Amino acid sequence: MGALGRFFKDINRNKAMLIMVLPATLWFIFFSYLPMAGMVIAFKEYRYSRDGFLASIIESKWVGLQNFKFLFSTNDAYIITRNTVVYNIFFIVIGLVLAVAMAIILAELANKRLAKVYQTGMFLPYFLSWVIVGYFVFSFLSLDRGVVNQITGWFGIDPINWYSDPTYWPIIIVVVFLWKSVGYNSVIYLAAIMGIDKSLYEAAMIDGANKWQQIRNITIPMLTPLITILTLLAIGKIFYADFGLFYQVPRDSGTLYSVTNVIDTYVYRGLKSTGEIGMSTAAGLYQSLIGFILVITSNGIVRKFNKDNALF
Amino acid sequence: MSAGTTKSRDFHRLTPVWNIAFHTVAGFFALLCVFPFLFVTILSFTDEATLAKNGYQLIPEKWSVEAYAYLFKAGDQLLRSYGVTIAVTVIGTVIGVVCMALFAYAISRKSFKYRNFFAFMAFFTMLFNGGLVPTYIVVTQLLGLKDSIWALILPLAVNAFYIMILRTFFSTMVPDAIIESGRIDGSGEFGIFFKLVLPLSLPGLATIALFSTLGYWNDWFNALLYINTPDLVPLQSMLMRIENSMQFILQNAQNTSLSVGVLQSMPQDTSRMAMVVLATGPIVLAYPFFQRYFVQGLTVGAVKE
Amino acid sequence: MSKKKRSLTTALLLMLAMSLVLSACGGGKSQSSEGTAEKPVELIWYTIGTPQKDVDKVMAEVSKYTAEKIGVAVKMKMIDWGDYSQKLQVMTASGEPVDIMFTSSWAFDYVQNARKGAFMQVDDLLKEHGQDIIKTLDPAFLEGSKVDGHNYGIPANKELPAQEVWRFNKQYLDKYNLDMNSVTTLESLEPLLKTIKEKEPNIYPFALDKNQMPYVPYDYVIEKLPMAVKLDTQDYKVVNILETPEMIQALKTMHKYYKAGYIPTEAATLDSMTDVQSSGRWFADRATTQPFATNLWSASYGYPVVSTPASQATIYNWSVMGSMQAISANSKYPEKAMEFLNLLNTDPVLRNMVDSGIEGVHYKKVSDNVMENLDESKNYDMPTFSLGNVMLTYLNTTDPANKWEEFKKFNDTGVPAPLLGFNFDTSKVTTEIASVQNVREEYWAALMTGTVDPDTYLARANEKFKAAGLDKIMAEAQRQVDEWRAANK
Repeated sequence: MGALGRFFKDINRNKAMLIMVLPATLWFIFFSYLPMAGMVIAFKEYRYSRDGFLASIIESKWVGLQNFKFLFSTNDAYIITRNTVVYNIFFIVIGLVLAVAMAIILAELANKRLAKVYQTGMFLPYFLSWVIVGYFVFSFLSLDRGVVNQITGWFGIDPINWYSDPTYWPIIIVVVFLWKSVGYNSVIYLAAIMGIDKSLYEAAMIDGANKWQQIRNITIPMLTPLITILTLLAIGKIFYADFGLFYQVPRDSGTLYSVTNVIDTYVYRGLKSTGEIGMSTAAGLYQSLIGFILVITSNGIVRKFNKDNALF
Repeated sequence: MSAGTTKSRDFHRLTPVWNIAFHTVAGFFALLCVFPFLFVTILSFTDEATLAKNGYQLIPEKWSVEAYAYLFKAGDQLLRSYGVTIAVTVIGTVIGVVCMALFAYAISRKSFKYRNFFAFMAFFTMLFNGGLVPTYIVVTQLLGLKDSIWALILPLAVNAFYIMILRTFFSTMVPDAIIESGRIDGSGEFGIFFKLVLPLSLPGLATIALFSTLGYWNDWFNALLYINTPDLVPLQSMLMRIENSMQFILQNAQNTSLSVGVLQSMPQDTSRMAMVVLATGPIVLAYPFFQRYFVQGLTVGAVKE
Repeated sequence: MSKKKRSLTTALLLMLAMSLVLSACGGGKSQSSEGTAEKPVELIWYTIGTPQKDVDKVMAEVSKYTAEKIGVAVKMKMIDWGDYSQKLQVMTASGEPVDIMFTSSWAFDYVQNARKGAFMQVDDLLKEHGQDIIKTLDPAFLEGSKVDGHNYGIPANKELPAQEVWRFNKQYLDKYNLDMNSVTTLESLEPLLKTIKEKEPNIYPFALDKNQMPYVPYDYVIEKLPMAVKLDTQDYKVVNILETPEMIQALKTMHKYYKAGYIPTEAATLDSMTDVQSSGRWFADRATTQPFATNLWSASYGYPVVSTPASQATIYNWSVMGSMQAISANSKYPEKAMEFLNLLNTDPVLRNMVDSGIEGVHYKKVSDNVMENLDESKNYDMPTFSLGNVMLTYLNTTDPANKWEEFKKFNDTGVPAPLLGFNFDTSKVTTEIASVQNVREEYWAALMTGTVDPDTYLARANEKFKAAGLDKIMAEAQRQVDEWRAANK
């Protein structure tokens, strides 16, 4: 009784705050936690019951890890995991280097007005949806109309059937991703560079440091915390692929699956073609679990080196 | 980038050679980023027959505004989709930002007893989600949102990741002293939040609002799941539908005088490009405006480092 | 401290549980005694096709009629061709309220979903409330659409066998004086395609999209999975279709055509050819026919189309199940739904209203069973075959008077395919099927459209199919086929 009384007193004391968290909390309950209960489907052979969804779940047979088997029965699991992770590693590493380099370049440009114009241009792709990027890419890669085949044609090279030849797609995917994201990320880093205390550079000048030494010894170290946080967040999402990039841009072309199939597209197609909800839920759970482990691990590592840079 | 900044940078200016090199690199990349959009615009103004004959060309043999003329006649689906997308984006961003800001602010306050509980509740959703079907059931049956504009708005309203960003923003940018002063003035928690904290946090909120806006503007998946009525099909979803067939926009044209003949004479390929241009144009024109706030928000955020 | 935290957690959990219970209760309303002309029950009917503007308007009229007759009001919801399967899958999985839904062998798979429990078993309902259906329908339909011995849907009375034809855009046949009767096989198309390719660079000589595949005389165990039994089989041996000489030959020819530029370069990623068809920028393609189909095609495209046979008329499982209406397992009014389906399949007034809209608005009657579309019909242009008995629908002015007699004749000429009536029970090999489906998604369209060279890709595809467990599925299929044959001797 006393505990309960104290509980209500606490509630009362935190009333305003509780009201503040209420809307988003409701959202979390409805859109995250209630659906999360649906994860049991991953362990069931899901069959419909006439009494609705809940009854379907309850009445469906437990099948243990059967639904996970299809992920691992072929080397599909290996391919989609490999694609998802390797692409993401490339995105993170190359994206980071290019974005930081571009930010430094923009920061060093003397003509600030032009720098602003460049920056605006680079930022544009970030605003476009993958559907639209898909149209763009098609105008370049279409077999008989695309610009690329027209240009290679001038040099007597046979037209390439881009959408059925997986050879070049690893590069195309990475290039398209960088095209869309580098400008945006460089703006973030540029903002951080602008925030660096100018007196540091002045002191370095007086000590006779040249441009490169300034960049290496002042700019980069000052950017490190931001780089760590953004990279850490990216690692947490290393098991999640950008669905549009891997589905819209290659126009869902089957022959390209060996290099474009990622966990997200695999789950989507699995659901679409077989309608086996159990299996796609299992794949989603697999994705969540590995992602969870990765975040915890990488955060732990960062924590070891520098507690302030860690996420939690 | 004030005048003061420029001056202080002057004294360690690049050598002319490097300056030119940097300009070339940055300029080239910027051009690369804008080029596809320009290209598609050119394509949309190409003559359909020329396009079929010569393929996609940077400088077409023959120009034409036929595609736009055609869409003007038959494209009221485009207008409707615009309306849907704008409504969803505006309403969704406002709701989302308000919910997230309130939540983030509460969990950033050390005086809130249950802040760890709620912070964890949000954080956990970043890692686990229930998947497509359970979410679908909640939206359609529990909330009854099928074929409703709210099915496009609510599922994207809150994002745990943005809440985390906002929380960091509040806890670093809003000094305790300010909150204390508000309390001494006798303001309630909400008073403090709206009168003192929000004005200080505009850049952070603008950043989140931008993320939200983009998320809504570019979303097509929710429409695929929840929307049947053509009247509620948003822009991106419409663009996806016409990728394979222009039937969709013709089907929904109000202009009933369109006959089979019109369908046959339609400049299909260029109309498609024109749709892309019309669907992208406004956001391309509007984004420099967003960008200003965005950079400001980030700059403030970065100062904390 | 920790105790309070726990009680808060408990409170939250309680909330969660309560909302779950609430959601469960929502659907559990029991049957009531409504369903009279004054108080009709509302049936929700999902069907396939591009949503039409006047659906609600027409359904209001339909409901007036059905309320009078059987105490039913109808709410129809149309879902576009490409989205139908996926949306219905999610809907049935989530237990959304539906009474009647379209199902078939090619969209929202009938057998698969019947086994998953999406549909209500209608054996008894048919006997009680659907006697007229049993009387009207060619018995082959109800017999052929049984799953594990039970009926789960009402097939539309239409053409029973499937016959493939080569279709031609007549304009170009005439222009270059080409003879379509010389075309009997895929190979014999070549000279015609060649002419068109040379003389008409802006049209597609051989129009096909990613859903097409060359015709080979085999009966597939499951649509589009590479296992089949030869049409004239004696031993009912299940073979890998990609290893049969016919398919290898066909794929080589397709690749030759692709390289020669006869086939659209993007065929393997094209979802549909409707744009090309509506603009008339094609010369030849392949399609499944029915009596007087060329009239239909010519009318809907707006220019003349002609055709010549590409195969025998054969009755397959998939042609029998080409268009069905099923009652949802969670329907609150299964009897009423069956009464409605009964009326739909036997009452010309209702059937034509559903098909062509409101008389005087969307169409006008020319004589007793002939009608003409009015301008407004573009706001209510329904796919006739997907809405029940087509033999009740009014003829168009261009249709011959003996259209439905020809249909019946056509149905009589159909030769049953070897696996007609056999339904593969996939429950023992679901994992393998899912994997094989994934392999198929990867290779099928590219191979079938000739986009890739079968010499290299066939071997690769077969290897992956085997790794995914195709052999195990085939062995299981073989076992079931043998059992089925023994039982049906």
